Amino acid sequence: MKVIQKFKGYYSKYSVSGQILSLLIVALIFSIGTKGNYLNPKNIQTILGLAGIPIILCLGVHQVIIMGAMDLSMEGIIALSAVVSGFLIKNPHTSFDVGFWIFPIVMSIGGIAGMGNGIINTKLRMPSFITTLGISWAMFGLAVLISGGISIPIRDLRFQSIMNGEFLGIPWITIIALLAFAILFIIQRYTSLGKHMYAIGGDEILAKQAGVNVSKVKIIIFSITGALYGLAGLFLVARLNSSAARLGNNTLFPAMTAVAVGGVSLSGGVGGALNAVLGTIIVVALNNGLVLMQVNPYAQSAVNGIVLISAVAMTINRKKIGLIK
Amino acid sequence: MNKKAVVELKQIKKSFPGVQALKGFDFNIYEHEILGLVGENGAGKTTLVKILNGLFHADGGEYFLRGKKSTIKDPLDAIKEGVGMVFQEGCTLPNLTIAENLFLCHEDVFKKNGFLQTRKMNQAAKELTKEMGLFVSPTTVCNQLTPAQKQMVEISRLLWLSKLYGKENPILILDEPTTVLLEKEVDNLFAILKEVKKQASIILISHRLEEIVENSDRIAIFKDGDFVTEMTQAEAEIEKIEQFMVGRELAEEHYRESEQRIPEEEVFLEVKDLSLNKFFEPISFKIHKGEIVSLVGLIGSGKEELCQCIAGTMKADQGDISILGKPVKIDSPKDSIRYKLGYIPIDRRQQGLAVDMDLVENINMLVFERLKKYGLLNRKKELENATKWAKETLVKAPSMRSKCANLSGGNQQKVVISKWLSADSQFLILDHPTRGIDVGAKDEIYHRIRQLSNEGKSLLIMCDTLEEDIGLSNRMLIMKDGLLVEEVQCPSDAKPAPVDVIASIV
Repeated sequence: MKVIQKFKGYYSKYSVSGQILSLLIVALIFSIGTKGNYLNPKNIQTILGLAGIPIILCLGVHQVIIMGAMDLSMEGIIALSAVVSGFLIKNPHTSFDVGFWIFPIVMSIGGIAGMGNGIINTKLRMPSFITTLGISWAMFGLAVLISGGISIPIRDLRFQSIMNGEFLGIPWITIIALLAFAILFIIQRYTSLGKHMYAIGGDEILAKQAGVNVSKVKIIIFSITGALYGLAGLFLVARLNSSAARLGNNTLFPAMTAVAVGGVSLSGGVGGALNAVLGTIIVVALNNGLVLMQVNPYAQSAVNGIVLISAVAMTINRKKIGLIK
Repeated sequence: MNKKAVVELKQIKKSFPGVQALKGFDFNIYEHEILGLVGENGAGKTTLVKILNGLFHADGGEYFLRGKKSTIKDPLDAIKEGVGMVFQEGCTLPNLTIAENLFLCHEDVFKKNGFLQTRKMNQAAKELTKEMGLFVSPTTVCNQLTPAQKQMVEISRLLWLSKLYGKENPILILDEPTTVLLEKEVDNLFAILKEVKKQASIILISHRLEEIVENSDRIAIFKDGDFVTEMTQAEAEIEKIEQFMVGRELAEEHYRESEQRIPEEEVFLEVKDLSLNKFFEPISFKIHKGEIVSLVGLIGSGKEELCQCIAGTMKADQGDISILGKPVKIDSPKDSIRYKLGYIPIDRRQQGLAVDMDLVENINMLVFERLKKYGLLNRKKELENATKWAKETLVKAPSMRSKCANLSGGNQQKVVISKWLSADSQFLILDHPTRGIDVGAKDEIYHRIRQLSNEGKSLLIMCDTLEEDIGLSNRMLIMKDGLLVEEVQCPSDAKPAPVDVIASIV
């Protein structure tokens, strides 16, 4: 009961005490369940490695949710980014070989798609829910169209080493994810963009009255978010050493769960980059534990669904929403 | 005393559909003064201040700010020109800290190498709020603050901004600042305002006359969109102000008083010790068949909530309601409909009508059950029923299938009334039935109210003006601060004068 109280009383907008507590509970349960195997260094490394890409995705989507909007365009943008990566990195189908230039390229593709989300949302005054869902399908369609629906093997082995390699025992992908975290953390706490993002999430109309350029802030944030999706798309390609449009499938649900578990309120204005990171680690750690305990995969899916609903139930501000639709 | 005017308004005019909100008058605001604006609801005070801060634009006349013609386009502009409004509910962002709220959108002042220096921001916030007597950490998130503290944050922000934009003597507008405060906080607010006055002009709107008389240097009285008179603090007396507020005595018949009749003996609705925490104390009263009872009181007196409890949209903590002697339990609007109580809300477009549906659907809303044939709705029956009631209430519409959104306010109101009549309501609560309705349609509504009462239906009304309350009702119940303070009889041949009544209201 006290845990719930703690969750509900998120007065400080960055509070993470509930998340740390949840993580400890997850660790405790699975340590007992796996007789200590869960917490051995090798498994912790696995969890951190697995969490890398989801952290990047969750960092992206959580910013939009802080503004009180919604972003469902993740899977489509990943698909496009993955297919473009497949054709531009050394591969058997094309003669392109852009090497590490692919990083700015996929981030630009994602950024432009995200900007599209922002512009449609603010200038055409379309609900972000519909806008981003539409963009997601449009991007996915484009990706399938370009690739012809095939998988493209990657011949540049440096990419896979990013996914496999480690530095001081920490996987590279985790380090990159934490770097992304650090940048967003600074934006949120030490720039006016960050402050305005929270103001919009607190109350868009009041923020506008106070002089916040709501459209500009939204478009920038949607763009950053899109760029992060693009980056994640490239890493998904690197992990499999092969590219396909369907790489983005089933990434949205875990990211949303992570956002909610991290304590980022779906009603907007509360939470931050640290919440996104911790939320993702909790979700990944939970799934890893279920696998180690050899729980039936279908039951794992059910557990995730329940976790999502309970997390939202604890963080949503019902007073602000008024009508539940 | 020779004072310099900061704001000069010349022949300022503003009208809304059906109402002349400001009728064209000259008005000045001087440096370093606390100016109290008083007047009944709808007298024009709020319209006036909304013109000052750019939320409304005057239709006629001129607005000079510091000697120059005002260029204020919207409230944001107004803030840059040193005209700011502190809202009753407050407009601090609930999820930001005090410091973040104070400097929102002007954080760049604290920027160094592209990053905000949060420590400096917090330090500055601490000093600013200290001046306002607010000794709370600047990193406190605003939803933890009391309404009084939020007000202080807003006042600090407005003062700081006017300094930032180099505007001398800013104008602070406080609209009903004290309704949300505790007694001690009220004293504190005024103590601070007296300090702030040294560097600003303050406009105070309040329904509490005592407060205005005690704290304003100058008091301006408004009535029906016109500036009636002003007095200095030394001259001000509550009785005198009240006299000016209500103005003329009622001369001719405005409210179809001759159609008023004496209610029946039988009690229709009885309320016994009904109470709702924070809104109203235990209240008891009876309403007879065919009686028009007017519930009078200021915003915050608890009358709105009392009506909502009877209509079932709010739930009272305690107390009983009985209808025709039988106790009933009203927990939701569904219950009140079952007991034949009808509620005609103040906001027709939001609460009274489904504006995107047509007349037929709206009028039949409560009686679909009756209009079925073989278990399905019968379009012919629907049309018949709706047409009957629309005719009865004289709704004017292009066709019965027109959307209600396209009707005028008066016709929309008639549709709402038809809906309840079609549901055979025996008791109607009319929440400001003539708000925003033009004069001709008003008279038709007055006529309808009289007719309903003559048919033996009981009505509980809340009106726009005190005159309307007195004119329409058989009896007035006066509420103040959650208490039923007085009951005034209003027989058609001996209506009380508004002046005599207003003393118990304010």
